Amino acid sequence: MKTITDFFAFVLRRPAALFGLVLLFIQAAAIVLAPLLATHSPVDANPLASLQPPSAEHWLGTDVSGMDIYSRIIFATRINLLISVVAVTVAFIVGVPIGLLVGYYRSWASTLVMRILDFIQSFPVFVLGMALVSVMGQEIWNVAIVLAVLFIPIFARLIRAEALSLRDRPFIAAARCSGATDRVIMFRHILPNALSPAIVQISISIGMAILLTAGLSFIGAGVRMPTPEWGLMVSGGSQQMILGVWWVALFPGLAIVFSVLSFAVMADAVRDYIDPRGDRLR
Amino acid sequence: MTPDTPLLEVDNLSIAYGEDTVLHGVTLSLARDEVLGIVGETGAGKSVLARAMLDLLPGGGRVVSGSIRVAGQDLADMSEAARRKLRGGTVALIGTDAKSLLDPVRTVGVQVADVMRAHRKLGAADARDAAIDLFRKVGIVDPEKRADAYPHQLSGGMAQRIVIAMALITGPRVILADDATLGLDATIQVQVLDLLVARCREFGMGAMIITHDLGIVARYCDRVEIMREGRIVEKAATPDFLRAPGTPYGVELLGAARARPAPMARPATTVEARRPLVEVVGLVKHFKTSSGHVIRAVDDVSFRVSPGETLALVGESGSGKTTVGQCIVRLLASDSGAVLFKNQNVLGIPDRAFRTLRRDIQMVFQEPYVALNPRWTVERLVAEPLGLDPDMVSPGARRARVREMLDLVRLPARVATSFPHELTAGEQKRVGMARALATRPAFVVFDEPTTALDIRVRAQIIDLVRDLQREMQLATLFITHDLNSVRSLAHNVAVMRNGKIVETGETERIFAAPSHDYTRMLLGAELPIERFTA
Repeated sequence: MKTITDFFAFVLRRPAALFGLVLLFIQAAAIVLAPLLATHSPVDANPLASLQPPSAEHWLGTDVSGMDIYSRIIFATRINLLISVVAVTVAFIVGVPIGLLVGYYRSWASTLVMRILDFIQSFPVFVLGMALVSVMGQEIWNVAIVLAVLFIPIFARLIRAEALSLRDRPFIAAARCSGATDRVIMFRHILPNALSPAIVQISISIGMAILLTAGLSFIGAGVRMPTPEWGLMVSGGSQQMILGVWWVALFPGLAIVFSVLSFAVMADAVRDYIDPRGDRLR
Repeated sequence: MTPDTPLLEVDNLSIAYGEDTVLHGVTLSLARDEVLGIVGETGAGKSVLARAMLDLLPGGGRVVSGSIRVAGQDLADMSEAARRKLRGGTVALIGTDAKSLLDPVRTVGVQVADVMRAHRKLGAADARDAAIDLFRKVGIVDPEKRADAYPHQLSGGMAQRIVIAMALITGPRVILADDATLGLDATIQVQVLDLLVARCREFGMGAMIITHDLGIVARYCDRVEIMREGRIVEKAATPDFLRAPGTPYGVELLGAARARPAPMARPATTVEARRPLVEVVGLVKHFKTSSGHVIRAVDDVSFRVSPGETLALVGESGSGKTTVGQCIVRLLASDSGAVLFKNQNVLGIPDRAFRTLRRDIQMVFQEPYVALNPRWTVERLVAEPLGLDPDMVSPGARRARVREMLDLVRLPARVATSFPHELTAGEQKRVGMARALATRPAFVVFDEPTTALDIRVRAQIIDLVRDLQREMQLATLFITHDLNSVRSLAHNVAVMRNGKIVETGETERIFAAPSHDYTRMLLGAELPIERFTA
């Protein structure tokens, strides 16, 4: 069986994947060691030190309320990754069984479920996000739930597509002849063979979630000040950008870029790793 | 070039992939008007050889030594442009699975016309006429209408003819047919090869037929060369080879291609044992296509199988024989009719009740690899049906039975921890059998157990099935189009065509004196080597 050590050995042979892995470790360090790494409190305003450029005291400068940008970026890693990981985990846990059932059983009920998923996906993301957050309140958990709802159709569709083609494969017929029940066929035969694309999608979705969280905060539908969150910080700095105060928006923006990039690159690496066809080509 | 220059000369050719040498000093030549058979099992290097002659080695293969001369010209001395001309022009390759070689979204007439216009200055209308003319030459009935068909609307044999037509456009000197008829029905295979060889003779082309079927060699080839592990191990004129192969490997191949001396022990003749174990009565299964057209896949089929008896259900693709098998094991719901197992109609009972009967009614699936869950180990695969056996709950008992089954199908115990992709096709087939036999069923449906296997593996599987019949007193429905294996395995034969059984009888009688025209046609298309060696 493939193990986690094998995976690391695999990553070490690929520069792009290695780069992604290093970025992931930096983020993990920021989450665990935030109080040690930060030079200031992420939420203490100091109007006297408003909009200061990067200096020895404030490495990446301060924002309009005089909060230290470097420290806020560090602490925001917690919020952003927490929201993203929770959202994607929930979406995976809910979406995968839905996709499996809908793909395996063909009835009016499956069609109905698919139309509901279509409905969710056809909604503009930000309109849906704003609507849900305004109903439920601007809490980080609500942002996570919004994102989970948005991602459930993605996982459900991926698994459904796989299940649809696997269902008619001869090994499923052979399993039925061996006395396998529907439940066994779905969870023991189809699911393990259908999971690869969904696992790759996890990394991609986490990247998307980070971007969407930031986007929701940017338009005011995400978390609220003074919670440190990358999108919120970009939003706060965007007004000063034209005044030549570039550091307020730029640095959290870069944090988003590198975080999303790290997950996207890891998604590629995971896909190459779990795809057996990739094995044969090497 | 003088008329005596061979069309194709391969001299001491070695080809390697990385450190891996796949062809070792191959030397051969092909003259005008000659049909050469290259025979070998999977991995012998036949296809690499064919591709090398077109300078189309797949995936980083390189010529280590030796030379290839086409019509006296060395491939290595040619410019890239000259080689390109060679590929489409002088040498034509016809591969397996013609449908995948055709563009699915354009009609075949247009595709062939395009190839013509690439080589000759022709207007669109003239090219189409020329294409239709060519279709007629390759034996396509109603060519005007066929020209407007898309590849998916054609049968495999028809698609193969189109590809042959394309290959003939440029007037090639050499035809390389690489397993060109693999997967086609016997009657179609004979038609396609007859056509190909006739065209070769007519235009004085040389043909190299690459195959693993000695029957094809016996019927069509002037000379034969046997390949094994990248070497040519034997060269002979075909009649000489069939009379007395010069190498032990040749002897082995020829022996494996022969039908096994027929009858096994007849099933018991007591009245009790002669009572049919399985009786199919008036089975009907119709499929409706999306356009509302009804296909009568199985149309009022009846037969019976006694304990210890093997009934072969033979027919070409589309005859409905596989559908019959699937209806019996209830992978498909039948429309009407009955399947009596020990006098109980198994079609009428609910799924749950039938599940307990699955222990006694098993099926061995056609394609060995795709019928095994790729993520399960052999142990788990073989143990799965044991869930049907209430006595098989303890892991120890299950493990013991799995070992016993692997032993029964002559697989070493160590494969238990392997995954299907780590096994050869023959081993996968055996795993499929071990699995079907694990619950010690009384009745087994074998769906095409011998197709797509190498000659020697096929012979091994046939021997294995014969042994199992004897040891387990199985009642077997043996679905196949491989008549050679029918001779070796079946007591009785039922010939199926268009969903109906057209003739049934004892195996020897059917082969000796077929009474139905269709049966005669099927037997006529068979290429048993006995016909040429006797």
